[in-house]
Amino acid sequence: MLTALILADSRFPGGGHVHSGGLEEAAARGLVTDEPSLKSFLHGRLLTTGLLAAGFAAAAARGEDLELLDAELDARTPSPAQREASRAQGRGMLRAARRAWPSERLAALSRDPHQPLVIGVLVGDPYEAALTCAYLAVSGPASAAVRLLGLDPFGVNAIVAALPVEDVASRAVKELPALGSPALDLLAEAHVRREGVRLFGS
Amino acid sequence: MKASARLVVGLDPHGNSVVRVLRSQSPLTLVPARRVGPVALVHLVSSVTSPLGGDSLELTVEVGPGASLDLRGVAATLMLPGPTGLPSSSVLRFSVEGSVRYVPEPTVVTSRAHHTAVVEAELDGHAELLLREVLVLGRVGESAGTLSTSVRATRCGKPLLHQQLVVGSPSIDSSAAGLAGKRVVGTSLMLDAVPRASDGGEWWNVVPLAAGGTLATALGDDVVTVTRVLDAI
Repeated sequence: MLTALILADSRFPGGGHVHSGGLEEAAARGLVTDEPSLKSFLHGRLLTTGLLAAGFAAAAARGEDLELLDAELDARTPSPAQREASRAQGRGMLRAARRAWPSERLAALSRDPHQPLVIGVLVGDPYEAALTCAYLAVSGPASAAVRLLGLDPFGVNAIVAALPVEDVASRAVKELPALGSPALDLLAEAHVRREGVRLFGS
Repeated sequence: MKASARLVVGLDPHGNSVVRVLRSQSPLTLVPARRVGPVALVHLVSSVTSPLGGDSLELTVEVGPGASLDLRGVAATLMLPGPTGLPSSSVLRFSVEGSVRYVPEPTVVTSRAHHTAVVEAELDGHAELLLREVLVLGRVGESAGTLSTSVRATRCGKPLLHQQLVVGSPSIDSSAAGLAGKRVVGTSLMLDAVPRASDGGEWWNVVPLAAGGTLATALGDDVVTVTRVLDAI
């Protein structure tokens, strides 16, 4: 449980703070401007990409073959920008984890692992791993919204607290989802193509 | 209504793709074109209004080494609710050693429809598959029923693409992290050896898949906009 808390803490030095999960592009296009539109964005993200990532974290925690999971998650992530964002966050997490929680299974991960697999291996318990992953799928974009749109941190926190993160984690331990989000894929690719100043890596 | 149909296409000694097995079962009626050539053309005609709630449809397509199949629809598919309130389902299985192009007309998910559509494609080492899907959320002025589509494509057992899309949940359909309030979603899956550069605009893009192949995706407010984008790729 402590591992899950540390991984979900925004002060964990895994480099997750440079990713907005599509929020920066959505904000730049005026698709997310205020608390209601942020709530809609986070809800959609949690129930698509969030559920997908949580399912893979749970599967990795159950001890399933990491190489197979890696290939299956690649197949479920058609956007190269999304694959790179997931692997970049996986690399960052792995770097911190090698010092904190060295293990044989951690060493069995590729050098460039998808983040949900790292979370699954580290947390060990499928439900806790899914919960951590589902929470991270919305907490990063939520804090990015505070920075990019100047939204009220108390209001944003209340939105996150009311999201069905636990329901998603419960579903994620029962299935290996394949849910896609066409709009998030389009936003992720457009973010990479966007010229000019970007605060976030994704 | 339960129906199961099967289509097998192979290569004859003269280099022509020929239909070897054609088993239709209404509403899945397969109509081969009377022509001889390197590509077999078959139309998939829905000979009874379908799918209605309660329907269960299954189509299996096998294409042998060197053979080529162009499978087309003739009209848009309307997914409708049935009298019983039961969900409907369709399963389309491709087993490809040659080449398949499947470009059906758009599918409209009418209000109160509840449908699950599954596409499974297994390709051998050099097989090619082009698969297009255009979904429309409801007729004009109508909200969509519920549709879950799943596409899984593998090459020699290894996954190339596995995507599930669920439409008909208003909170996700309207979310900028779902379908962004767009009524039409189109995809074109191209599993072949043709290299295509990443490209995109505001609501469309073309991306290389991790294990080979290309996926084009377009969101829009109408079918014309979306199919125009997919046609241009």
